[in-house]
Amino acid sequence: MPRHLLAPLRIIRYSAANAWADMWVMFTPASWTFGYLSRLLTQVIFFALIGVLLDSPDLVRFLFIGNAVVFMAFEAFISVATTTWERRQGTLPLLVAAPLPLWPVFVGRSVQWLPTGLLSSSAALFVLGPVFGVTWRLPQAFAVFGALVVIGASMYCMALVFGALVLAATEMRNVVYNVATTVMMMICGVMVPLTFWPHWVGAVANAVPLTHGLAAIRTLAESPAVGPVAREVVTDLMVALGIGAVWLIAAAVLLERLAGLGRRSGSIDFAA
Amino acid sequence: MNALAAGFTFEVRLLRRSFDEMMVLVTAPLMTLIFLSITEHAGRTDLAPYAVLAPALIALWTIALFTSGEIIERERQNGSLEPLVATPVAIGGVITGQILAVTLLSLVGFAESWLAAWAVFGIVVPIVHPTAFAAALVATAFAMAGTASVMSSVFVLSRSVRAYQNSLSYPFFVLGGVMVPVALLPEWIEPLSRVVFLSWSADVLRDSLTPEPVTSLVARLGVILALGATGFLVGLVLLRRAVDRLRRTGTIGFA
Amino acid sequence: MRMAEDAVEVRRLRRVFRGRRKSPGVAALDSVDLVIPAGEVHGLLGPNGAGKTTLCKILATVLLPTSGHASVGGHDVVRETAAVRRIIGIVFGGERGLYTRLTARQNLEFWAAMYGLRGRTLRLRVDAMLSQIGLTERADDRVEGFSRGMKQRLHLARGLIGDPQVVLLDEPTTGMDPVAAREFRTLVGELRDDGRTVLLTTHDMAEAEAVCDRVTLIDNGRLLATERPAALSSWISTYSRVDARDVPAERVPQLICELRDIPGVAGVRAIQPSGIRVETDVADAAPQVIRHLLDSGINSVATSTPDLEEVYLHIIGERGLRVSR
Repeated sequence: MPRHLLAPLRIIRYSAANAWADMWVMFTPASWTFGYLSRLLTQVIFFALIGVLLDSPDLVRFLFIGNAVVFMAFEAFISVATTTWERRQGTLPLLVAAPLPLWPVFVGRSVQWLPTGLLSSSAALFVLGPVFGVTWRLPQAFAVFGALVVIGASMYCMALVFGALVLAATEMRNVVYNVATTVMMMICGVMVPLTFWPHWVGAVANAVPLTHGLAAIRTLAESPAVGPVAREVVTDLMVALGIGAVWLIAAAVLLERLAGLGRRSGSIDFAA
Repeated sequence: MNALAAGFTFEVRLLRRSFDEMMVLVTAPLMTLIFLSITEHAGRTDLAPYAVLAPALIALWTIALFTSGEIIERERQNGSLEPLVATPVAIGGVITGQILAVTLLSLVGFAESWLAAWAVFGIVVPIVHPTAFAAALVATAFAMAGTASVMSSVFVLSRSVRAYQNSLSYPFFVLGGVMVPVALLPEWIEPLSRVVFLSWSADVLRDSLTPEPVTSLVARLGVILALGATGFLVGLVLLRRAVDRLRRTGTIGFA
Repeated sequence: MRMAEDAVEVRRLRRVFRGRRKSPGVAALDSVDLVIPAGEVHGLLGPNGAGKTTLCKILATVLLPTSGHASVGGHDVVRETAAVRRIIGIVFGGERGLYTRLTARQNLEFWAAMYGLRGRTLRLRVDAMLSQIGLTERADDRVEGFSRGMKQRLHLARGLIGDPQVVLLDEPTTGMDPVAAREFRTLVGELRDDGRTVLLTTHDMAEAEAVCDRVTLIDNGRLLATERPAALSSWISTYSRVDARDVPAERVPQLICELRDIPGVAGVRAIQPSGIRVETDVADAAPQVIRHLLDSGINSVATSTPDLEEVYLHIIGERGLRVSR
């Protein structure tokens, strides 16, 4: 592998190991399952039940799938908050001073949320699914799992941009996370189809990889066999990945820019 | 009385400077839009009252969980808990005053919800029975404060319970019939739901927004108030336990 | 404002802190007896971990004793908690305890309310307090922007806002610069003039000597002795240390012998790289040592006062006080 590619990958790997360790300081398996996961599952149930209020089994399924999948995106976005840990822990200047580029550190820093997001969304979709009339055949399930991975990866790239922006104002990290995730719930086809909102809202939603990944999963849910819909699904997922790649490049550029700006203005400090 | 007033004033001053605590009030109107989008998309304008009430109740509870619930813990971390214990004024009164301030402020969520519905969807949800609505709102606020006092004491007594703080939101929204009335839920849930004051509040508030007269208003308000009073009682008992523990062992919480 | 009873009375007070596992626990206070008459400024002198803060907390009713008895103003701290809380004011050292997002005035108004004040009385008292600690100009600024010294003064105001008859000051000058510390001593004098009783804990002998009417020494949860401040200053001058530096190597052994012969010298030894350390145990022996060194052509000479641990070692040894039962 070319040298200039190896170094970033290695950095990502170490950063990720750091991130994984951090996570288990916050959670024990028990508190993650009964605390975190149960809250996610109840949230899915809460929204899916609205379909019961509206007396529409179709709506129940629609809301269920949307809310189960959106968790993958939420988890990816937690990185907006955790990226700031580098600044708050005071390691940021040390990283900036190091010879290798900054962006791989941030790419790896928050990946621990991806496997847990995968676990949460999968638990919701596959375990709770039957309760809400959503069943999966094995090929479907595999495809859905793959789609979740795509959503997670591409949303993570988008989250990096927000994380980079938040680095400059760490006290906004919670507001940004909460507003971003709520808006996602609103416009990305989670609760209502994109067509419900005005055109310009739809355009914004299309810039979010989740919108396309979710569409792919909905397609898979409608069709018992994967074959006939494979093309449509793959297209949607490719679009999601492509958009994710654009976000990733934006994030790398932004991070290096910010590091440069910070060096000049002296705003990179040892403790936020 | 002095304690209540002092705690109340103090908390209002503090909240003015701590935007972070009231962040829920930023996302609350967005939640209104989410709920309304679902009901409007299904063509059910008659359910607009449901869609407008749910996020307000969610905001009320969430703020109680994360702000009121942390009041005592905040004092402990600030190093001001022991000095508070050392004063002649009852600490329970002060904490209650602080909780009341937070609760009252979180009622802004209701106004925000109505405003968001009008601003984005042009929907104005009429308050058909204003007296019933106002009474229900007051009772709900009282009950929320009472529940918050339990949260506040429990979270400082037990760190391990505090780890589950995040998961004490949505289960109660389901049980509380905040959007989907308890009547539409499976039967076995009802006993659990009826212990959560939210279920009564949501029902009465919804009824006050619909044309039909509100049945058994006084009785239902009575239940809400009773649940709230129980909350206060339990909260104060637990607070006393926490302070006793602090005085006996030098630390306030169990691990 | 004088009380008929003794302001503070402590009898066989014991406080044990349990460890995590079933260990017997640590006795932070072990059978302490202490009487402080009304109007006295009483110092409690001891190193960190000696039990000073524990005693303050018990007297403030924030901590319960394991056994024994303590009363403030004639009221038992366990049975008459409310009465005790009405007459004490406590200032814990350190920076925590203030509401940094509020202003100085708002902080004091809150605590004044906690002592039962209200309305006009409250506002007037807060104004007076702010003036007494010299924070009137910054009264409406947020505490988070205050310097360490200003926060310390605000702490003091907070402890005094209830107009307490008995004031507990737990290491109040921690982190204060010398100027602020001197101002603080004036303040303690004012408290005495008001007729209040003050219990001041510290690990600084000079401070205890300057401010207190009597000083009790504490170590490892036990009271060692109660002294007049004069005794402290005599210790300071008795147990001195003189360090000589840059002594030519060939002269060291000779000098050591000479120094040992000076009356009042307790010990002499060579210290690296080229120095000599002399310890005295008689008052005013140090100047003689210094003179001898200077006469011998050694110019790099420094004296230091003993720290608390060293003094303790001396007086414990001298009086044959047992440290552990």
